[in-house]
Amino acid sequence: MIDQFAKNLVELKKEFVRVYDGKSQTPEVIPTSKSELFPIEEPHLELLHEFAAKNPIHYNSFEKKIGSVDCIVYEGDINKYWLNSIQHGSSKAPFSPTWIMSSYVNTLLAKSLGYSEVIDIGSGDGRIAFCARVLDMASYSIEIDDMLVDLQNRLNGIVDFYSYCSDAVLFDYSSLNLTKPIFFIGGLAQMGGISLASGVLKSIRSISHLKKKSGWVFAGTLSPKYAPDPKNEAGWGTLIEDNDLKPVQHISLPTAWTLHEPDETQYIFAESY
Amino acid sequence: MTSAEDISKMFEDESKKIENLFDVADSKTEMSIHEIVEAYYQVMNVSSMANMLKQVNPELELKKKISKTEKLISQRFDSIIHPRIIQNLSASIQELTKKLQSGNSGEKSKEQTELDTMLFDELRQSMSTKEFVEQYENGLSHD
Repeated sequence: MIDQFAKNLVELKKEFVRVYDGKSQTPEVIPTSKSELFPIEEPHLELLHEFAAKNPIHYNSFEKKIGSVDCIVYEGDINKYWLNSIQHGSSKAPFSPTWIMSSYVNTLLAKSLGYSEVIDIGSGDGRIAFCARVLDMASYSIEIDDMLVDLQNRLNGIVDFYSYCSDAVLFDYSSLNLTKPIFFIGGLAQMGGISLASGVLKSIRSISHLKKKSGWVFAGTLSPKYAPDPKNEAGWGTLIEDNDLKPVQHISLPTAWTLHEPDETQYIFAESY
Repeated sequence: MTSAEDISKMFEDESKKIENLFDVADSKTEMSIHEIVEAYYQVMNVSSMANMLKQVNPELELKKKISKTEKLISQRFDSIIHPRIIQNLSASIQELTKKLQSGNSGEKSKEQTELDTMLFDELRQSMSTKEFVEQYENGLSHD
């Protein structure tokens, strides 16, 4: 079911790119109602729209039928956050969001794999943490950029997730009392992701009861613009092997940075073996 | 097989292109990104060609041409044009950043947001060009 949901979302994105004539660099769409193609619970859908509508990165929205699906298009602008992150040199990878719908599908999959807590590392505007909370999972968001954390705090009243302004590599994860967590690593392997993931993996491995129980989600790319990894896995193969992880699921979903790319972002779900 | 004369002629043609690019650079207060990239590529191309030719012990005539071109690159490009390009790019980045930061304080209309996007693109382009130009400088400091 989740697999088909993801495929339908990719199709919707392709159709959207074909018909969209606006100028936003980071537009995204959310269906207006539950359908066979997008069997998402109505209360969840309402929350996703609320998150999008109140999110200050969106400066415009309008209704549009995309293919056979009635949607709301949210037009976004993330330039000022990019400017802030490069000014302070605080970020390993500049903020570029996954789609809200993709975040929902990702967290749906994380829940179906049996994880109870989501830790969104390099969380940007906190959309993955938000979606995890919508799905009743315990949810933590860790972001180094203070401007983005301020933004998260403005959205945090819709559903409550824990938002921390911190360097994820130095963060004390034992303070969260995690039991079965899954970590979403923000950033492609080639865009600072490896260094971020390595640092967090090292921290989690030092907490003995989490070593074997933690799940990992890596955002990968098949784009020829980036150097491939000799062990594949969309740029993450070597890190996965070096850390005794095994991929358990792959899912392909739209993100802001693949808007005009033929291939979507490859999310690799991995576990310890 | 390419004759020594052909090689010498090719080197001379490429050196001439450099001179033309330097003349363009000197005739303007600010070069476009395209002109900057073109000038650096040509300098790097001719410098590599000169290094390669020197290794095969060229004839005296070609040796003189190589030496003349190297002097041109060193005296005109490395000492004058390249520092000026870095200075201009830095100033442009600073100015654009300041402008964009000052416009980020309040609510903006859809039109203004999309107009600013063009300035942000310009800033990103200037920054990546500066990175490219600095790579050349790193090469110089390791020579």
